[in-house]
Amino acid sequence: MSAPPPKRQRREQYRKRAAAAASKETPGRVKLPQKKFYRQRAHANPFSDHQLNYPLSPAHMDWSLHYPGFVDPDAGETNLAGARKVLKDVEIVDIGCGFGGLLVGLAPLLPETLMVGMEIRTQVMEYLENRIQALRTQQKKLKNAPTTATESPAPPTPSEASIDGAAPDSAATPETSTGLVAGGYENISALRSNTMKFLPNFFRRQQLSKIFICFPDPHFKARKHKARIISENLNAEYAYALRPGGLLYTITDVEEYHHWVLRHFREEGEQQASEGGVKDLFERVSDEELANDPCVEVMREATEEGKKVTRNKGNKYVAVFRRKADPEWPA
Amino acid sequence: MTVRFQSPFQCIQYLEKQGTSSRRLLIASSGGKIYSYAGETGQRLSSWPQDVDPSNANNSREIDTEPGSQDQAPPEKKRKVSSSVEETVQSSKSAAKALAWSSIPILVAHPNDDYLVALTAEDKCVRVFHLQDDGTFEQLSERCMPKRPCSITLADDGNTILCGDKFGDVYSLPLLPSKEPYVAPKLPSRPKVPSATALTVHSKRNLESLEQQLRFSQTENSTEEKPALNFQHQLLLGHLSLLTDVAYVSVPLDGNSSQKRNYILTADRDEHIRVSRYPQAHIIENYCLGHTTFVSKLCVPPCAPEYLISGGGDDYLLVWKWAEGRILQKVPLVEQPSETTQVAVRGIWATSFGPLNIVLVALDGSSQLQCFVLGLDGVLTAQDPIEMSGNVLDVASIGKDSTIIVSVDGIREKGSTQEWRANPTSPSSLIATLRVKPDTENLEWEPVTEPLATNVNSAGSSDIATDTNTKGRKELNDSLYSLGNLRKKHGEDD
Repeated sequence: MSAPPPKRQRREQYRKRAAAAASKETPGRVKLPQKKFYRQRAHANPFSDHQLNYPLSPAHMDWSLHYPGFVDPDAGETNLAGARKVLKDVEIVDIGCGFGGLLVGLAPLLPETLMVGMEIRTQVMEYLENRIQALRTQQKKLKNAPTTATESPAPPTPSEASIDGAAPDSAATPETSTGLVAGGYENISALRSNTMKFLPNFFRRQQLSKIFICFPDPHFKARKHKARIISENLNAEYAYALRPGGLLYTITDVEEYHHWVLRHFREEGEQQASEGGVKDLFERVSDEELANDPCVEVMREATEEGKKVTRNKGNKYVAVFRRKADPEWPA
Repeated sequence: MTVRFQSPFQCIQYLEKQGTSSRRLLIASSGGKIYSYAGETGQRLSSWPQDVDPSNANNSREIDTEPGSQDQAPPEKKRKVSSSVEETVQSSKSAAKALAWSSIPILVAHPNDDYLVALTAEDKCVRVFHLQDDGTFEQLSERCMPKRPCSITLADDGNTILCGDKFGDVYSLPLLPSKEPYVAPKLPSRPKVPSATALTVHSKRNLESLEQQLRFSQTENSTEEKPALNFQHQLLLGHLSLLTDVAYVSVPLDGNSSQKRNYILTADRDEHIRVSRYPQAHIIENYCLGHTTFVSKLCVPPCAPEYLISGGGDDYLLVWKWAEGRILQKVPLVEQPSETTQVAVRGIWATSFGPLNIVLVALDGSSQLQCFVLGLDGVLTAQDPIEMSGNVLDVASIGKDSTIIVSVDGIREKGSTQEWRANPTSPSSLIATLRVKPDTENLEWEPVTEPLATNVNSAGSSDIATDTNTKGRKELNDSLYSLGNLRKKHGEDD
């Protein structure tokens, strides 16, 4: 029997401490989780059988655990799985949400809209769950003790924030841990899933108004292109979940991938006439319109990858597509 | 006389051609071969590929050059011509084994019974045959798919083949390729440069490999294009997981019966049944979600196309109003469900005998054929099951005789997909025929004494040695009973 590797040991110790701290009613400050204990390699195989929890159908999904602030007060209202209903449908999905920068950034912009992040990596998901929980607790404390704001939640100490290597922003962005925020982060949640397989288990036809796909795994090798999150086949599923007029946001720092995205949603200056493809269901949103969309700014600047690309002085390629209505049946 | 095991019929189809040249044929695939039998007498008419007589196997060159025989010659025979070394080594045994495939897991008959679509397993080849009046097969085309097809069905009144494969993709192919040679659509050529740049990869190792790629692309301008499919085809839709079954439904629009709307239903290993428009399959109308394990079979009863019966690894069937994704009924398949019983639905067959609509269900490795009567409201009512002499493999029906033909496995023990019987039965039991007893309250079946089954069984198929070793047996078992592999094996997860 060999002892677990030091990294895992440290992680386990950290989690134990964090869990103990969370269970105690600690007055004052609430610590946000530290990213360095949750790092995981950036790739996951979407084709393998992961141990995933997913509902039998959208009507069986228990959202009440994810959005306790939005649970229907009438306890008699239950869904097919016997879970409490929530007052609203989830409308925004961040596919491959990673450490959750986009959700945290969007939460105050759309405080009355339920958003969910989906991520396949367990460690990252655990981080994000803890992060959202901590943010909510912070907000509740702020709300309950507005007069004593001076002593309650102190921002994380500099040592804590900068311990995360070259990313001082990552553990907790200052603006999220100080002031009161609209919605109090009650409208965001995250869950582990493989959206490439199970998106229709979570969302009904035309349930969503926005889908975000930010800095997806580029799968550089041509052999791996089938694992890309944007493909003709998957776009049909996104079209299914999006309502007409709904938007699908993409951003990447890989130019080739940007063109791949354009090719798979809209023809890109190509004369090749493609009739009847999934491209018929989407149109690209103009840059002028995007200039007025605050979500684009969040996507560019608030996501962890977006910050990393800025640090490395990379490029960001944004493309947003609007879901068109289904064409009429041919007569 | 020693009795040998007879290779069972993996698929059977019963064809009844009406019109001027009325004809009834039983088509069966067994091992790597397809046989045709006269529908009334059970007399064997032909087989494909044609038997290679050991005496003239060495003359295959001459056979090949004979006009007219090319169509029936399996492709690897032509390959043999080029290598004379192989020919000399060839014995009668290897001639039989020289086929590029060992099984034909899918047979689909064309609605007007002129054509037959068959899939040969190992070479992934979709083959279309024209059935001659004398029961012989004329191979019209062979199209090798990129991935192993799991399901084949016909659409557009039989003019289009829909082929779902292991990669989750569904392709549509014309039944009869156009006469003009196929020209692959020209893809806009893109310069071959690595998609990564120094702006997108940062780690030392990644940068090194990027540098290497750049150097490589400068020195060598190799354009290794993947060989595209050299026949007309269209990718209709794709699932991310293994596709198990495809169904095509054409439903008349309300009131106006001449107008029809077409749909394609696809089932996969991840419990999904997807309802898409056809041919605009990128428009998903619905998902039918309700299974908790893989779905293996979809059955849209021709008598009531608004319903769907689905089965898979669950110990129940689901009856759907598929257009709404609504479950109408959950039909138990096992009397006393337990944790240990692993069910896999091998086949669901719907047939109509006059006003009586019958649904038959077989589980993988079970000798019981479960019977249901389908009501007008889409409700299945269970009837007494039929106990067969071996595991049920496939079912075909003869509508006007109220008769079903059941293909049974005479090699493995009843109820087992692995254990072989100690001794072959004599005469072999390849098929059994049963008829609905007339004028009875409940659905009751009686064996048919007509010569069809007797003759087919006594003629046998190809021999399988009784002393086949364990490895050989396992291969044969796995090619016939593969549904269990669809069950998920959860491994390490992170």
